[in-house]
Parts: sequence; structure tokens; C-alpha cells
Amino acid sequence: MARYAMVIDLERCTGCRACVEACKVENNTPTANLWMYVFRFEEGEYPNTHVWFMPRPCMHCDNAPCVKVCPVGARYKRLDGLTATDWERCIGCRYCEVACPYGVNYFNWKDPAENYYLDWNDEDLAAVTGGTTPPYRNPDLDQPYGSEQRRVAGGGRAKGVIEKCTFCVHRVEQGLLPACVANCPLFALHFGDLDDPNSTVSRLLRRKPSFRLLEEQGTQPRVYYIGGKPPTTETRQIEEVKARV
Amino acid sequence: MTVRTERLPYGVGRLTGGWYVLIGVLLAFVVLGLYAYSRQLAVGEAVTGMRDIGTMGGATWGLYVAFVVYFVGVSFAGITVAALIRLMNLEFLKPIARMAEVLTVIALILGAFSILADVGRPLRAILNLFRYARPQSPFFGTFTLVISGYLFASLVYLYLDGRRDAALLARIPGKLQGFYRAWAAGYRDTPAERERHERASFWLAIAILPLLVTAHSTLGFVFGIQVGRPGWFSALQAPGFVLLAGVSGVGLLIVIAAILRKVLNVPDQLSPQVFRWLANFLMVLTVAYLYFVIVELLTTTYAAHYHEVEVSRALLVGEYAWLYWASLAFLVVPFLVLFAQFITQRYNIPLIVLSGMLVNLAAIGKRYLIVVPSQTHGTLLPYGTGAYAPTWVEYSIVLGLFALGALLFVLFVKLFPIMEVPETLVSEGAAQQVIEGG
Amino acid sequence: MNITRRTFLKGSAAAGGTLIAGRLLSGELETLVAAPPGASPALAEEWVPTTCWIGKQDCGILARRINGRVISLEGHPDHPRNRGTLCPKGIAQIMALYDPNRVKAPMIRTNEKGVPGKWRQVTWDEALNLVAEKIKAVRQKDPRLFVWQKGRSKAKAFYDKAFVKAAGATKLGHGTYCSDAGYRAAEYTIGLHGVLHPDFRYTRYLLCWGWNVTNAGGNKFCWLTWPQQLIQARERGMKMVVIDPRLRSAGHFADEWLPIRPGTDLALALALCSTLVEQGTIDRAYLQNHTNAPFLVKEDGFFLRAAPEGEEEEGKPLVWDEASGQAVPFDTEGVQPALEGEFTVQNSKVKPAFQVFKEHLASYTPEWAAEVCDIPADIIRRIARELGENARIGSTIVVDGITLPYRPVAIMAYHMTQQELGFQAARAMIMLMMLLGAIEAVGGQRIDLTWKIHKNWEKLDRVEIKDPPYNIYLKDSKFFPINSGSPSVMAKVMLEPEKYGVDYTPEVLMLHMVNPMPSFTDEPLHMEAYKQFKFVVAIDPWLSKTADLFADVVLPAATIEKYEGPIKASDQYTDAVAFRIPPMNPLFQSRGEIEIYMDIAERAGFLYGEKGYLAHLNKELKLKDEFALPLDRKPSVREIFDRWARAQGIEEGVAFFEKNGVKVKGPVPAKKYYGYAQEPPFNGIRHRLYGESLLRYRQIMQEKGADEIYWRDYTPLPTWRPLTMDQSPPEYDLYLISFKKIEFKQSRASQIPLLAELAPQQYLEINPKTARERGIADGDEVWVESHNALTGETRRVKVVARYRESIRPDTVGMPHHYGEVARHPWAKGQGPTANVLFFGTEGYLTNTADATFHVKVRVYKA
Ligand SMILES: Nc1nc2c(c(=O)[nH]1)N[C@H]1C(S)=C(S)[C@@H](COP(=O)(O)OP(=O)(O)OC[C@H]3O[C@@H](n4cnc5c(=O)[nH]c(N)nc54)[C@H](O)[C@@H]3O)O[C@H]1N2
Ligand SMILES: Nc1nc2c(c(=O)[nH]1)N[C@H]1C(S)=C(S)[C@@H](COP(=O)(O)OP(=O)(O)OC[C@H]3O[C@@H](n4cnc5c(=O)[nH]c(N)nc54)[C@H](O)[C@@H]3O)O[C@H]1N2
Ligand code: SF4
Ligand code: SF4
Ligand code: SF4
Ligand code: SF4
Ligand code: SF4
Ligand SMILES: [Mo]
Repeated sequence: MARYAMVIDLERCTGCRACVEACKVENNTPTANLWMYVFRFEEGEYPNTHVWFMPRPCMHCDNAPCVKVCPVGARYKRLDGLTATDWERCIGCRYCEVACPYGVNYFNWKDPAENYYLDWNDEDLAAVTGGTTPPYRNPDLDQPYGSEQRRVAGGGRAKGVIEKCTFCVHRVEQGLLPACVANCPLFALHFGDLDDPNSTVSRLLRRKPSFRLLEEQGTQPRVYYIGGKPPTTETRQIEEVKARV
Repeated sequence: MTVRTERLPYGVGRLTGGWYVLIGVLLAFVVLGLYAYSRQLAVGEAVTGMRDIGTMGGATWGLYVAFVVYFVGVSFAGITVAALIRLMNLEFLKPIARMAEVLTVIALILGAFSILADVGRPLRAILNLFRYARPQSPFFGTFTLVISGYLFASLVYLYLDGRRDAALLARIPGKLQGFYRAWAAGYRDTPAERERHERASFWLAIAILPLLVTAHSTLGFVFGIQVGRPGWFSALQAPGFVLLAGVSGVGLLIVIAAILRKVLNVPDQLSPQVFRWLANFLMVLTVAYLYFVIVELLTTTYAAHYHEVEVSRALLVGEYAWLYWASLAFLVVPFLVLFAQFITQRYNIPLIVLSGMLVNLAAIGKRYLIVVPSQTHGTLLPYGTGAYAPTWVEYSIVLGLFALGALLFVLFVKLFPIMEVPETLVSEGAAQQVIEGG
Repeated sequence: MNITRRTFLKGSAAAGGTLIAGRLLSGELETLVAAPPGASPALAEEWVPTTCWIGKQDCGILARRINGRVISLEGHPDHPRNRGTLCPKGIAQIMALYDPNRVKAPMIRTNEKGVPGKWRQVTWDEALNLVAEKIKAVRQKDPRLFVWQKGRSKAKAFYDKAFVKAAGATKLGHGTYCSDAGYRAAEYTIGLHGVLHPDFRYTRYLLCWGWNVTNAGGNKFCWLTWPQQLIQARERGMKMVVIDPRLRSAGHFADEWLPIRPGTDLALALALCSTLVEQGTIDRAYLQNHTNAPFLVKEDGFFLRAAPEGEEEEGKPLVWDEASGQAVPFDTEGVQPALEGEFTVQNSKVKPAFQVFKEHLASYTPEWAAEVCDIPADIIRRIARELGENARIGSTIVVDGITLPYRPVAIMAYHMTQQELGFQAARAMIMLMMLLGAIEAVGGQRIDLTWKIHKNWEKLDRVEIKDPPYNIYLKDSKFFPINSGSPSVMAKVMLEPEKYGVDYTPEVLMLHMVNPMPSFTDEPLHMEAYKQFKFVVAIDPWLSKTADLFADVVLPAATIEKYEGPIKASDQYTDAVAFRIPPMNPLFQSRGEIEIYMDIAERAGFLYGEKGYLAHLNKELKLKDEFALPLDRKPSVREIFDRWARAQGIEEGVAFFEKNGVKVKGPVPAKKYYGYAQEPPFNGIRHRLYGESLLRYRQIMQEKGADEIYWRDYTPLPTWRPLTMDQSPPEYDLYLISFKKIEFKQSRASQIPLLAELAPQQYLEINPKTARERGIADGDEVWVESHNALTGETRRVKVVARYRESIRPDTVGMPHHYGEVARHPWAKGQGPTANVLFFGTEGYLTNTADATFHVKVRVYKA
């Protein structure tokens, strides 16, 4: 069984947020749900300032606080290292969200169909798309995945359940890279199997020093950062996204 | 010809105009709460002020969870008091035993409803919490121990404790006779029965006390063992929860006892001695809790981690300072009042009641302050501060829950004697007396 | 299944009280049952290649289409410009495709102009007839009265060019707001069409001079090609020094940040040149052999020429041959031209142009520049030293088997050349690279993607300044003889034709891919001018602000779902060509532009025949013989492209592109790439260090009585002068600059919800120190008030202030992009465009009629 991990090269990332958009379109996430988020940071004082960028997917922690607290086992670890959310079992208590130190969980505060940015109920459009909401809805998400055959792919599923980055389980199971990784214009995102010593991720981690976010929390994230340092308390966010539903 | 009306003690079964108005008002609030809830069901929790932590800059747990904790905390009172009476043979407190038990049951029901108000998929929650319950989740404790075990134990206790009275009342003919008979379930109050009954409830009381501590602790663990939330992760969280639960529960019990004393006009049964005892108990719990607050304050400000300090700052001088200091004042002032009474040994019931009310406001404030700021100001990644303000829906639902609690209490009072029925009252003669008096 | 449930729920809603029960019992519970695996019906999946519709580099796309519906747009892996990736706009444009807020059908205005429009939806027939009728009428009167305006277009501009030519219309572009000052400077100085960029494969030391790396294009590209090449260069060890008032542009790619005072780049470039000359790190061989640096300059500033006066042709400029000790024509065999010294020839004192330059530079010391630019003198010296060291003057390298000079230093600059002294600043930057011999050397300074001398090389040297009447953008006038065809010049002319000696004002305007109101500097000026047009038609997928205010007719253009091309797809190293192929049929009633133009031309009577639109299409696409379009029949757009493809020797025709999207022609050989690799190098042209013709224009302008403000910057060597904006009173103590954001493309993406969500609101970047002095907290609303130093006019807008440590304390910045699409739910409340605050009046234009995006402002709490 593979042990998937993501490696993020901070030296390359330009903070363009294309990964954010790639994730949103691939996974059909509703308004304000940023499963992938990219921080833009500023440090220091003029003129000794430093600007840098840090993508933040779900860390798919091995010792995941979110999994521990889920009262119904809707949030669970898969054997391949993915932290999955079964949206058909989730009761929407949002305990995983408060337990997660990384702020990566997004609750469906509204019926997702009502929360896709625009009112897509348009006759002319329906004539072309058959009324699908959103019009670019990805059919790959509509099936169970994994040996456990649970509903864990994609977003915008149902009102009142929690969702987060799935590591694009529906793509990974087909041998594709996650959408954000596949698209990153600066090739700053890497994904692969840590059990395979020849995978890009294994090689990168052997070659370069890395860190994981909030490692001291004992969460054992499966997202590694290379080419930079973790944010400190002196790190200020600029151009932050505070999207609301 | 005289119409024979039979009267039950403490106005049970008798609804006057005032009661109808009260019930009407409470019902109106319940309906408001239901309406708000229907909006929430229809639109989703977007109608609340809650939002996701992080890029939405919100708090994903808000008023509902604060009130889950508050209501469960209030439930502390009944069982503790009842159990203490039983275990320590505090005979003079017997009159408040049942109201305490009812308070517990109702508070737990409200707590359960608050959870249902909070979860995104309520019906699924009920089913899945049984189907897929995971003991590893601290929530498991809340659901099993608190909401189920505790509620079940309390109900059993209330039931057992009421059997004697039910047996007595079952002798009085009337519409409720069947109900009492069912409750009494063959209990006749023979000495042997009484003995057996005493023993059962004694053991139950013994069993309940640790359950009580565990239950309130698990609720504390819901927060206290979350490393990722500054302001939560603390060993003090569990004992603190137990204590604040006591404070709010006893405080509310005082208020209820005082109201019933007035309404039912039973100054003798609910003697000043009862209030004195409750006042002292409240004082001890309050000062113990204040001690926790101070310890917590020092640990989170003196040499704490940056993020702890951020949350503390928000609490002490930031956005939440008004609520924090108000809550603290509402603990300190009652404590001083009660302490002064204790020193002078001069007790004043209105002042005790005021203290009970204040500590409850403080408890609500503190529950809110435990739940919310750690989410808006306690993100470990530099998301920046968030904000949360409850909407009318949340206020209405909470109000509706309070109204529902009051309604249930009132209905219970009208259904069953809220205090143990003195032997004399229910003797054949006494019944006559009452009738004549009417 | 989804729909049934929704319908069911609606039904229960009708039943009132059963709503909740219905939800609980059906909706809530139903999801507990997992669908059996593989239950979903078979999906018909197709991948349609196309290109990005938003950005100017037309990144290659593969559209994933399932059952006829496009569900995602992904980067085309074979496209050299984007290699399987897309920027956030490229991804998010899928939402624009389906957006029901697009202009769905042709619309005709029913209310007066100058205010938001009221519209009547009409048929294409009605709209096209009306447009054609107006165009016909105005062409009969005078074709020049028909103005065709375009903005930042995409693909190859063949079909619009053909339309303008066939219609005889006057053309306006966006370039004077983009980077034309830089283009003109490069065309004039080096002969190449472009501004400045490095040879990333080899460059080791880069001056990132106002290049917004993390957000915008740099020279020629839209975005992601350059950053991709940049990270490779950096991973090879390239150092990057950033010259920009704000650090956010280059982000963490900056090895060093020189926060320059806005508008003073000319001063810095001169000081760097001065230091290079002083320290002697100059490429003499290049200057002697490939530039006019050795040309002898007389005391009057003109070149000393061989042939005496009176002859037909001007004689060749002379150089001082050190071997023979006399002045000889510059191209004399075996000449050893002097770069320095003073000589007496034909009784007049002459100096080599380089000597003149050297003397010119003497006063531009680093200490002097430190005052002007606010960059310490020792840093300027160090940068000059590093430039000198890294240039490795004299070294060579073998590429493609050719031995070429190796000068791995370069500058990247583009839109920053749009500043008051932009033309001369860009020239000075190029001259800096000339001193190092880096122009077109390996690893050195590049300007175009391939080596190709632009026609402006000759043209700009031979401008004939005429007497009035002038045309509407004052081309060849005494005002802006080197002219970029500026819309804001036209705007001024429309308001005061006599002042500028123009004897007509245009009447009919066609807007194509342009939104002047928010995009161009001096919105108020444009507002006034556009009211003068009698008839305006806009071709746009959206109701742009300009269309909303001024259009009589709006014709809905398609977005990505149309044929457009052929599109150059080279990333400068790999040559390729691509097409925009419709991944779906055009949505709503929208249509592709080419069809629209053919229809208009047909109805206005200039589609067919030798001078018709079709004939011009043939010319622009170089369709000849059997591939030429017949001139008597309206083809389909696909057919046009099919002919083009076959003409290129692609046997499958356009089907090749429908299948593959991009045709990669292979690596660009050194021969096609480096000017140095030509035979002779640079095809024998002499780069213009000394701008003799600029001096000539200056004299003629003076003779013709033009005000100093028009001719003062026409100097043969870039010359610093205090900036107009600095004459504003001291209370206007801050510089306002502007820049792009990665989320948006000009005004054409700010309404795309996925993007607008990430950057929902206009803001002002301000240094916290500056803000605190004014009592402004992070997030406060402030007024930004600009001042026109020459007219005294002030303007202000209200925006939210955001703290940034990485911007100069005397500078504030506002992004472009906001406030543009009318009546779109996501464009509402985004805030004002910065362009209200900039001025398009004299003093704020460069000598090439380009705009500056700088102005002095004051900022105070609202
Ligand atoms: N403050 C400030 N202003 C600036 C700049 C800045 O940095 N700061 N940058 C300047 C620069 S570099 C430039 S290039 C200019 C660009 O300015 P413009 O050339 O005006 O570019 P847009 O604003 O994108 O206007 C394009 C219009 O074309 C429409 N359009 C988009 N796609 C299509 C299409 O496929 N077909 C048709 N028919 N129409 C389409 C859009 O809806 C929009 O209304 O702006 C300049 N303005
Ligand atoms: N995302 C996105 N990408 C785009 C576009 C877009 O709209 N959005 N537009 C495309 C177009 S049309 C163009 S022209 C290119 C432009 O590409 P660039 O030229 O790279 O980008 P701009 O943001 O226009 O450049 C302005 C830069 O100059 C700096 N600057 C401002 N004033 C001065 C000054 O006085 N001196 C110096 N040294 N620097 C200064 C600003 O801080 C900013 O970094 O981008 C293209 N790419
Ligand atoms: S797409 Fe790549 S470069 Fe852009 S923000 Fe994401 S990780 Fe960084
Ligand atoms: S990042 Fe958060 S949600 Fe993701 S696995 Fe870790 S704890 Fe769970
Ligand atoms: S919200 Fe869902 S996934 Fe998260 S803890 Fe609750 S039930 Fe589990
Ligand atoms: S791995 Fe997939 S789900 Fe996770 S952030 Fe990337 S695109 Fe989104
Ligand atoms: S860089 Fe420009 S052309 Fe490429 S995807 Fe982005 S917007 Fe489109
Ligand atoms: Mo541009």
C-alpha cells in the first residue's frame, strides 16, 4: 500500500493561487471553501522586508486530531495515508474543525447548490448544461472510493456536512496527480509515495532539508515543506482571503 | 349540593389564569425558537453567525455549543444536591431535592437539544451517534455519559424518589390518579418497601457522584485535550468544568427554589436554612472556581506560548474584555456578598437569589468565552483574527430552549408535587381539609 | 437523482408545514445509503485543445468535456508557454464561459449616453443592420471619422487589422497605456520590437526593473512563461536584484531589493552607466563595431558626414580611424574607430558620440542619483561593479556550434516604462546594457523573442514633422512626432481640435476588446471625449463600463468558445503555433469576432472584391493561390483557418489543431535567436547609442513653435530633469503607483467570481509608518487625492488602506483591474479604478504620447 505525501517547495512558489483555483474547479467546492489556500506573508520592517508564500492544503496528518475526535468515524485515515471524510456519515458536528490546528476544514453552511457563486438557474444555460450546478460539475466525484467504498471525493456534497482537501482521492486512485499539483505553474507542488524510494517526493526529501507545519503538535503531517522556514509569530499575512458565504 | 373537587398539594393539577398566561408566553418563545430552527433547517447554518475557522475568519462553534456546556453544567445541581442529601442525610434539604432533580433532567434535555441545534445533520446525528459511536472521541463522553447515562440515571433517581409521593397521591381520586398509580407502580410505602427503596437510591446516589464528575470532566475534555486550540488545551479544563457546572447549577437551583417558595407560598418548607446551606455551598464552589480562574490567568499570561497570550489578550484587554470582566465581576461580587453573609451569619434571601442569578450570567459568559475566542483568536497559523456574532436565529433558538425548559418545569410542577409531600398533607383528613379550604 | 430530490423538496415546501419533515425524512436519511459502486452511467469524455481566452500569451489548454459539457480547463502539456499548467485566471475562466451575466444577445440602447444604459434586446439582424448602416454612412463622408479601438487583444491581430484596413478606419490601440514608451525606445535604439528581457537559459545576473514577477507579465508575456524560466535560472544560480518601489512584485525571488523612488529610473540608469564608464567595464568592441558610439558628433550635436551638402543622399557618418589618424566613413574596411577624444575635422571640432556620452554622464554620479532615486551611492556603485563583473566582457560561448559573445547580465522591464520620462528611461536602460555589450549576446539583453529588425527602426529615424492639419492622434505633428497613437491624445483633440491643429473629429467608434473608461489613465478626460461620438458599438462578452456608458449597440462576443488564431506559442526557446478552438458552441447568442466582422463588412458593403475584408484577410494571413479565400463568397471561420493551415503545409488543415491544439516546430536555433549570430552580426545595423534624429525633431519642433513641454525630452542622449509631478505643492507628499494582480487580467477578469473571491476589493497599499503619521489604521477607509501640477486640478477616490512594510514610505500603490464590468453581481462594490487619479494631460505624457501611471497624492482618513 502506498503512503502518499505532498512536498511543497517554498523556494518556487510565487503565491499565484492557481492551485487554489485548480482545486476549486476540480473538486467543485462552493463559495468560500478554500481546501487549498495560499498564504502571502510579509516579515520585517521597511526596508528590511521579506515577502513569501505558503500553500496550505490539508496536512493529512498521521496522528490526526480531527480523526481522533470524530464521534462517528466519518473522518478517518485510509491505509494509503489519506485523511478522508465520509460525507454520507458526517453529522456536521464540526468537532474535527475545532480540533484541527491548521484551519483546513470547511462546513457546508448552506445547501451547496445555492452556494456556487452565481445563480446558475438560467434557462438559456440549462438548455446547454441540463441545469447542472455548477455547470462545470465533475462527475468523477459521484462515486464511492477506496476498498471501503465510501463517499469521500469532491466537495459541495450536502448541506450540513464537513469537507476538506481529499488529496484528490478520485484522481490519485486513477494514478493521476492531485489537481493542484498537476497544475502548479512553478512546479512547486509534488506528490507521491513515500514508500517508493524513487518517487519524486522521496528523492526531494532525501536531498533537501524539510519541515512540517506545527510539527510540535504531534500531528505528524504528510505535507512536507522544503526550501524555506515555517512562519513565525513575526509573520504577517498580506492579501489575505476572508471569504464568507 | 356541593361539588366535590379534590385538591392535590402544591397546586398540582390546578391551572389559574396566571398560569395560562405564563404557559402561553413560554409557548410563544418555544414557537419562536422552532421557527428559527426551521429557518436553519431550510437554509442551513448560514443563518447563524458561525463560520469556518481560518480563511472564513469565523468560529465554527458558537452560542449553541456554549449553551450545551451551560445546560449540562446546570444539570450538576440536581443530582449533586439530591445525592448529598441522600448520602449525608441532610433532612432539612429534602424539600429542594426534587426540584433539583427536575432541574437536572430538564437541563440535560436542553443540552441535548442544543447539540441537535448545533449539528449540521440532526437526524443523522441521532442515528449515527448510535450506529457509529467511537469511544475515542471526547464527544463520546458527552453523548453517552452526559446526555444518555447521566440523563438516564437522573430519570431513574427522580422516578425512584417520587414513587412514595406518587403512591400517596394515587389515593386521591382525580384525572391524574392513573398517572400517579403508574408512577407508584405498586409501591405502597410499607416500611419494608421504604427500606428497600432507601437502599436503592442510596447506592444510586453513590454511583451517580463519580458519574457526575466524569461526565462534567469529559465535557471539559472536549476542549481540554485539543492541542490545536490555544486557550483550550489545559489540564484545568476538566476540573474547571466541574466547578463552574456546580456554580451555575446551584445558583440556578437557588433562583428556582426562591421562585417556588413565593409562588407556592411555602416559606416554611423552603426555610431560610435551606437557602443558607445553598448559599454557603455556592460560596465554596465560587471561590474554588475563582481560584482556577486565577491559576489559569497566570499560566496563560505569565510565560505562555505566543498563541496562548494572543487568546488571553483578546480576553483580558481585547474584543472579549467586556464580557470577560463582566463575567468575572459576576463571580466575584456574589462571592463577596455570600462571604459577608457567611461571616456575619446574617443571610438575606433576595441577596442570595441575586447571587444565584449573577453567577449564572457569569457562567453563560464564561462558557461563551471558553468556546469562541480560541477559534477567532487562537489559530496557530497566521490567519489573522476572526470574528463571531450570533444572529437572531441563534438567540431565538437559545431563548426557545430556555422557554422550553421553563415550560417543562412549570408543567412538571402542575403534574407532580415539586417537593416531597408531607405525610399529613396526603392523609385522608388532610385532603378533606384542602377541599374545605377551597 | 439530484433534480428529483430538489423537485420533491420544492413540492413539500408548497405543502408548508411538511417542509421540515420532508427534509428530515427524505433528504437527510436518503444519503445514508451509499450508491453501489460503478452505478454511474458511462460518460463520454473528450479533450478539446484550445487556448486561454483571458491572458495575452494565450496559454495552451485542454478542455475536458463530458457528455458535451466542459468541466475543466487544464494546461496543455505540449504548449511551450505553459507546459501543462495555467495561472489562476486560466483555471477560473471556466466560470466566465457559463456566466449567465454575460451579454447574451445583441442590445440597443434606449436611453441617453453618459449614464448607465437601458437596453433593448434585439436580433442579430437588427443590430448588425444598424451598425452597418452607421459605418456605411460615415465611410461615405470620410473613413477617418470611423475610429476602431482595441485594447489588450490576444492571438494574432490579423482579422482586426484586416477589418481596419478594409474599412479605412482610424485605429487606436492600448499600447500607450501598456508599454509603448519602452517599445519605441527599443525600436529606435536597437531596432527590435519589445522592451527588455533576459536570455534566461544563460543569464546569471538580472536587474528585475519594475517587473512584477509574481503577478504580471514582464516583457511580452502574460505571466507564467517567465516565472517558469526564472526558477530554472535561479536554481542554476542566477542572482536577481529588484528595482521597484514595492517588494511584493518580485516577492521572495529578490536577492536584493532597491526600493527606488517612483519615476526616477532614468536617473538610476544614468548613474549606473556613469559608473560603468568610470570603472571601465565596457565592451569597446561592441560599441566600436555595432553601435554609433564612434560616430563623430559636431558641436551642433549632429553627426559629421562624408558627403558635402547639396547631394541627394546624406553621406555616411564619419568615425575617427586611429590607425590612419583621420576621419573615415564608419564602414571603412579595417577601420579602428576611436571612442574617446576630441578631433578637428573639416575645421570643426568633433568628438565620438561615446565621448559626448561620457561627458554627458560626468555629472550623473552615484552620489547625484542617490539624492534623486533614494538609493545609496555605494549600493549603486556595487551594483555597477557586479554588473561589470558578471558581464564577463570579452568572453565567448559556443551555442549551436556558433561562437558568440557571452554576457550573462540583463534587465527585465516592461510596463514600468510607462512613466513621465519613460522613453528616455528605457533608452538609458538599453544603453546600460549596450555599454556591457550584452545586447543580443548569449545570456544578455533580449528585446524580442527572435531576431527580427522592426520596420520602426527606419521609420522612427525618419519621422517627417509636418504642418497642421494633423490627424487625431497628432502623428507626425510638432507635438508628438514619435507617436504611439494614443487614445488620450485623441480624447484631448476631440475636446479642443483647434488647439492641436486638427480639422475633424471622429463620429463613429467601434470598441473591440477594450474598456477605456477604467483601463486608461485619466478616466474623466476620456469620459468627456467619448460623449462626443455620435455612434458607438462595442463588441464584448460583457457589458463593460465603457459600453454601459457610451455604446449605442453592444454585440455579444464569445469568450473561449470560438475560433481564433493562428497564435504564436513560442516561449522564446521553442517555436510553436496554436489555435483557439471552440470547446463548445458559443453560449447564448454570442459569436466569434471574425464572423461578426464578416457580417458587418458584408452589410456595410466592403466584404467582397479586391479591396474588401476577404482580400485583406488573405493579405494578413498570407493566403495565396489555391489557399486564398475566394473574394465573392463568405467563408466559415473554420474554412479560413483550414486554408491557412494547409498553406502552412499542414495537410490535415485546421483539423490538426482541433486534434492537437499546438504545433511545436522545435527549438529556436541560435541563428534565428541571437542578433549576434547573424551574418553580419545584427544584419549590419548600428545600434543608436546617440539619438541624432531626436535632436533633429527637437529643432524642427522648436522651429514650428511648439511649447517647450513638447520638445524638451527630445534629446540625443537621455537627460534627467525634475518630474512634473514633483511640482505639486508639498501637501501632496506621496507618490501613487499602480500594478497588476495575479488574480485579474486588466478589466477582463474581476467579475469572474472564483477570482473576485480571492481579491474582492480595491485597496491602497501604504507603509505603516506613513499611515500612522496620518492616524490611519490598517483597514481604514481613506481618501486618495491626486493633484495635477500644471493645471491644479485635484481628484479623489475613497479606498481601504492596507498596511505594507514592503513599500516605500513615500509611495502608495493601487492595483489596476477594479470597477469595470457593469451590473455583474461580483463586480459590484469592488471599488474605484486608480485611473481616475492619473492625468493624461501635458506633463504627464511622455514624448512618445504615452501615459504615466504616477502622480502625487495626499492620503487622509475618510
Ligand atoms: N491603473 C492602471 N491602469 C492600467 C494598467 C495598470 O497597470 N494600472 N495597465 C495598463 C495596461 S498594461 C494595459 S495593456 C491596459 C489594458 O486595457 P484594455 O486594453 O482596455 O484591457 P481590458 O481592460 O482587459 O479591456 C478589455 C475589454 O475587452 C473585453 N474582452 C475580453 N475578452 C474579449 C473577447 O474575447 N472579445 C471581445 N470582443 N472583447 C473581449 C473585456 O470584457 C473588456 O471589456 O490597461 C492599462 N491600464
Ligand atoms: N495577472 C496579470 N498579468 C498580466 C496582466 C494583468 O492584467 N494581470 N497584464 C499583462 C499586460 S497587458 C502587461 S503590459 C504586463 C505588465 O507586466 P509588468 O510590467 O511586469 O507588471 P506591472 O504590474 O504592470 O508592472 C508594474 C511594476 O512596476 C513597479 N513600478 C511602478 N512604478 C515604478 C517606478 O517608477 N519604477 C520602477 N522601477 N518600478 C515601478 C510596480 O511596483 C510593479 O511592480 O502584464 C501582463 N500580465
Ligand atoms: S500554484 Fe504553485 S506557485 Fe502558485 S501558489 Fe500554488 S503552489 Fe504556489
Ligand atoms: S490537517 Fe487538520 S483536517 Fe487535515 S488531517 Fe490534519 S488535523 Fe485532520
Ligand atoms: S463534522 Fe463530521 S467529520 Fe467532523 S467530527 Fe463531526 S461527524 Fe466527524
Ligand atoms: S490535493 Fe486535491 S483536494 Fe487537496 S488541495 Fe490539492 S486539489 Fe485540492
Ligand atoms: S498566464 Fe495569461 S494566458 Fe496564461 S493562463 Fe494565465 S491568463 Fe491565460
Ligand atoms: Mo499591457
